[in-house]
Amino acid sequence: MPAAASSTAPSTGSPPAGGGRRPNPQWAQVRRTLYFLTRNSLAVVGLAIVVFFVFVAIYGAAYPASSTQMSQYCGTLSTNGEINASQLQSLCGGHVLCTYAIGTPAPGANCYAVSPENPNEVGPTWDLAHFTAGPLPFGSLALEGGTNYFLNTFLGLLKGAQWSLGISAGIVGSGALIGLLLGATAGYFGGYVDEVMMRITDIFLAIPGFLLVIVALASIGADITTFDGKIALLMGAFILTWWPIYTRIVRGQVLVTREQKYVEASRASGAGHLRIVTKHIIPNSLYPVFVQMSLDVGSIPIALGGIAFLGFNIFPLNFPEWGTIAASATGPLAELFVQCSIGTCYFPWWQLLFPGLVLFLFAISVNFLSDGLRDALDPRLRR
Amino acid sequence: MKMWIYILRRLLLIIPVIIGVMTITFVITSALPVEDKLISHYGQGKYGQTPIVPCNKIDGPNATGNCPNPVYHREVVALGLNQPEYVQWGIYIENSLTLQWGTTDGQSAASGLLLGHSELPIAQVLSFYLPYTLELATLALLLILVLAIPIGNYSAVYRNRPIDQGARVMSFSGFALPGFILATLVLLGAASLFSWLPLGCQNTYIPFDHFFGSWPPASCGVPSWIGLYGQTSPTGFPTIDALIHGQYGLALDTVIRLILPALVIAYGSVAGILRYVRNSMLEVMNLDFVRTARSKGVPESVVVSRHAGRNSLNVTITILGLTFAGFVGGFAIIEKVFGLYGVGYLLAVSLLQPIDYGLVFGATLLFTIIVVVANIIVDILYAYLDPRVRLG
Repeated sequence: MPAAASSTAPSTGSPPAGGGRRPNPQWAQVRRTLYFLTRNSLAVVGLAIVVFFVFVAIYGAAYPASSTQMSQYCGTLSTNGEINASQLQSLCGGHVLCTYAIGTPAPGANCYAVSPENPNEVGPTWDLAHFTAGPLPFGSLALEGGTNYFLNTFLGLLKGAQWSLGISAGIVGSGALIGLLLGATAGYFGGYVDEVMMRITDIFLAIPGFLLVIVALASIGADITTFDGKIALLMGAFILTWWPIYTRIVRGQVLVTREQKYVEASRASGAGHLRIVTKHIIPNSLYPVFVQMSLDVGSIPIALGGIAFLGFNIFPLNFPEWGTIAASATGPLAELFVQCSIGTCYFPWWQLLFPGLVLFLFAISVNFLSDGLRDALDPRLRR
Repeated sequence: MKMWIYILRRLLLIIPVIIGVMTITFVITSALPVEDKLISHYGQGKYGQTPIVPCNKIDGPNATGNCPNPVYHREVVALGLNQPEYVQWGIYIENSLTLQWGTTDGQSAASGLLLGHSELPIAQVLSFYLPYTLELATLALLLILVLAIPIGNYSAVYRNRPIDQGARVMSFSGFALPGFILATLVLLGAASLFSWLPLGCQNTYIPFDHFFGSWPPASCGVPSWIGLYGQTSPTGFPTIDALIHGQYGLALDTVIRLILPALVIAYGSVAGILRYVRNSMLEVMNLDFVRTARSKGVPESVVVSRHAGRNSLNVTITILGLTFAGFVGGFAIIEKVFGLYGVGYLLAVSLLQPIDYGLVFGATLLFTIIVVVANIIVDILYAYLDPRVRLG
């Protein structure tokens, strides 16, 4: 009796009631996967960090930081990288910056030490008290239309987690869903359907994915100005690029699955195409898709940063996606180097480094998790 | 099958792929307004027309309001933009295949930064910038091979030992670091670390001039064989041209400027290839002939390097094509950060507002062709190394 054929799909699976002593084989496989996953220490670390980021995203979504709070430090930077406090106050709609002379006790939280000679210059600080509220080093610079806004990087990263995780989950989920449907169809029916669909997939895969995103954004995005429209466009461009990989993976897996005995048994007992594909083919072709999905979830925020770096920058105040925050630090790169050649230059390194670290941590933990998942799911790679 | 038949068949398969890619870009361009299509074909200066112009006496006896611009409509008809979509598709494919990729836009950011407000055929502009990108890609590929093959082999031999785990963490970190962040930090770090180095042509130190840009700064004197648009003569490859002209110092300088970006690219791509090298090496190490070699007393180092290493190379080469496709997309970012005048830089600059659509599509098409050709070369190499492929 083939085990998988008699069982329900994992999504609807529940422990068999009463008489059946045998555990549900699909759940047994999930448990087995988890067991092998926990044998791999790197994968456990990866899983823990990913779960942590999911909680950060939920916390950030619930955290009551309005966009005005995130942007309360607005103003212009002088060439040596210091903020002019009086400018800040005049530009920020009456927001009063609390300053005090170095050496005197701080009058309260969110106050900045200034030197008595230069009471208007607020320099970069490593003071821990400023980390969550201060403009520097966690404060940040976002450029749009020649105006400089200071975005609190800490708040930005916190509020951005939902965007980074949500958008990559959305893109990867949609891509995988499209790939699953197309790949299962192509692989199951074979013949002309397979041939035509796989040639189209090949053509999409021939274009370097990042470039396809860029081209789609550049030409379609010309007259989209609303925030929702931009987000939808961004996701659409990525989904357009991401489905072919899944189609190819699923199709390859389906070609193997459809020859299995339990599929033959199902067909012999009179199951239709739809039932065979949804009940047997797709559930048994899912695992390589999970591995690829976990890999892609980490790489999409990085790609988003690259897109933002090349100029498709949704204003980070509304869209504090991690990569976008980092990319907005490198806006005036060429000008910066010219300035540095003259001798006076600064670089908002904190704005590049901290989002970079967060992106790095997320992507690498997702990679560890994916690697562990691959080892756990492939019996040949198990120790 | 004979080798040349295989190669011929493989080459013929390029044509439908290229036409398919052009079809995708055609579908995407259909979102553009007609004005942008006209500009990207004729260039702003030559086209420069609006659909509606104030009427004058030439347009008719009672002309006072707005009239359709006859020049505009002539251009629309000449490009076939009033035709049905499938005719437009045919014209698009024909023009693309005959390298009539349009003209750069004289008003776009790209022309202002690079081309001195001139309008040139896009194919010609791309040909100026392509050799630099090819040099960068070659250097990056060499670095990837030099890094990935030994590290992958050692990872497989010392499986699950600290050296293996370390290599994995290193390669994953390359995959997880965003290219533009790493490139910027590397550039900043190099500029501050080597701040004591004086430039070859002058005694004063200027930070970034060692590592930013394709050539020494203009204050050092631009060599006569570097053209207005950054193209070099006679071959177009800057290092080779510098050698031809006997300027060995400049050739070395060009290579030094390429090493950091190539390292950044290689570091980002090594993760993917390392995994394949390791896995294929693991598979080969379990095969019978390796056991035979060991049992007849061949030293372990020879077994690893000669028996197993060479046989695991096949998989490595097939993956090279994929790797290449992966990092080509990042060229726009890396070349923009390091200010290298390659196709990626051109693409990055043409993406700035106002966008030069002709250049964007031209550069994308060129990159895609490079990837397709690289895959063909890899396939042929693979067939040469593994005769079983040809029989299949």
